[in-house]
Amino acid sequence: MFLAAFTSSSPREVSLDATLLSRLLQKDVSAFEQLYDRHSRLVYGLVLRILQQASTSEEVVQDVFLQLWRNADQYDSSRGPFVPWLCTMARNRALDQLRLKSERQRRREDQPAELPSVVVAPDYEKALDEKRRAERVRTLMASLTPQQKKAIELAYFEGLSHSEIAATLKEPLGTVKSWIRNGLLRLKEGLRATT
Amino acid sequence: MNNCDQFRELIEAYALGALDPEERAALEAHLATGCSDCTKAAEEARWLVSQLAYVAPEASPSDMLKGRLMQTVRAEAPSQAKPRVLPAKSSIPFWLWAGVAALLVFSIYSAWNTRRLENEIREANERAAVLRSEGEKTAQDLALAKREAMILMDPNSVKIALKSGNAQGPQLEAKWHSQLGVVVMGENIPMPSPHHVLQLWFIPKAPGKMPMPSMMIRPDANGKFVLLVSNPPESMDATKALAISEEPEGGSAWPSNPPRYSGGVS
Repeated sequence: MFLAAFTSSSPREVSLDATLLSRLLQKDVSAFEQLYDRHSRLVYGLVLRILQQASTSEEVVQDVFLQLWRNADQYDSSRGPFVPWLCTMARNRALDQLRLKSERQRRREDQPAELPSVVVAPDYEKALDEKRRAERVRTLMASLTPQQKKAIELAYFEGLSHSEIAATLKEPLGTVKSWIRNGLLRLKEGLRATT
Repeated sequence: MNNCDQFRELIEAYALGALDPEERAALEAHLATGCSDCTKAAEEARWLVSQLAYVAPEASPSDMLKGRLMQTVRAEAPSQAKPRVLPAKSSIPFWLWAGVAALLVFSIYSAWNTRRLENEIREANERAAVLRSEGEKTAQDLALAKREAMILMDPNSVKIALKSGNAQGPQLEAKWHSQLGVVVMGENIPMPSPHHVLQLWFIPKAPGKMPMPSMMIRPDANGKFVLLVSNPPESMDATKALAISEEPEGGSAWPSNPPRYSGGVS
C-alpha cells in the first residue's frame, strides 16, 4: 500500500525512496541523510529559483527537510508520489517566504495548505529517472511560446495570479489565461507523447 | 458546455495557484460536490504542475546546511534508532574537522604575528621619523652655522657695534652682509626681567617711520648668544641703526621700553 504511492519514478528509484521513507518512519537518521542526498539539489534549485537568495533558500530547504523528518508519519500513499509532494511543499514554503519578503503578507485563500494536496500521476506517466525527467520537462518548456513560458513561470516561481500576471505583463486578462492554460496543456501533451 | 466542462478549463490554473479568488471559490465549491472526474483531473493537474520544479536548474546547497540538518536530526533521533542498512556517517569527516582546527590555529598565529610585525614596523617608522627629524634639524643648524660663519668672515660684511647706555655694560656686535643677512652676537648679557625677552629692532632712516620689529634674543645661561637674521626687514642702506630693547614675552609690534643696546649702521 505504501509503495503504491511512488508510481512516478523509475521502479528502482521508487523502491529506494519507498524503502528510505519506511525507514524514516522509524526515525532512521541514515535514511534521512540518503533522502537528503538524493533530492536536496532539486529542492534547493527550485527554492533558489523562487527566492534568488542563497542564505534564505537554505533556511527554507532546512525547514522542508526538518518537516519531512518530524512529520514523516503524516505522509501516506493518499498524498501521492514522494518527489512531487516534496517539491510542492518546498514551493509553498518558498512562496510564503517570498510574499513575506516582499511585504505581500496577505494570505491568499487559494494558497495550498501546510501539507500539499493530493497529487496523482496520470496513467501515461511511466518510469523515468530524475535526470531524464528534468531533461524532458525543460525541453518541453523550451518549446512553448515565450509568452506561455513567461506566464507559467510567473505563476509557478513567483506565485502570481492571473490578474497579477496580466498587470505585470500589461496584457489582457483573457490573453494571460489562454497562455497559461494552452501552455500547460501543451506541456501535458508533450509529457504524454514522450512516455 | 456542461457544468464540468466549464470547471475543467480552470483545473490547470487552479493547480498552479493562479486562479483569482472568485474562480477559485467556484471551482472548489464544485469539487466539494464530489465530482469524481474533476477531482481526478485536479489531482493529475497538480502532478503536472509539480513537474515544473524541474525547470529550475539544480543547485547544490552548502555543506553547512547538511551539517546543521544532520546535527538537528541526530539530536532528535531516539537513541535506540540505529541505521539498518548503511552506517551513519558524519556529514563532516574527521579530516575536515582537523583541517578546520589547523586553519583556526594558523589563523590565530597569523593574526598574532601580523599584529607583532605591524607593531615592529610602526616602532621602526617612529624611530626613523625621529632620526629623520634630528637629521633635518642638524642639517638646518649646520646650514645656519655655515651662513653665520660666511657673514662673520666675509670682508664685505659691515660691522655694527651695539653699545649699552652703561659704559661698563657688555658690548654687542652685529655684522650685516647685504645678501646673506645679519648676525648679532654678545656675551655676558644680563638676563631680561621675568616674563620678558630681548627684541631686536631695525631703525629706518626715513623720518617718522616706526622701528621695524625683528627677532627675539635668548641668551644662554652664561649670557651668550649668536642670532642670525636671514631676511632683515629693511635694507642696509635704508637702515639707520640696530637696537635691542626689553619687551614682554612674545615680543612687541613697536618698542615699549627704551633700547638697552643700539648701534648706527655706517
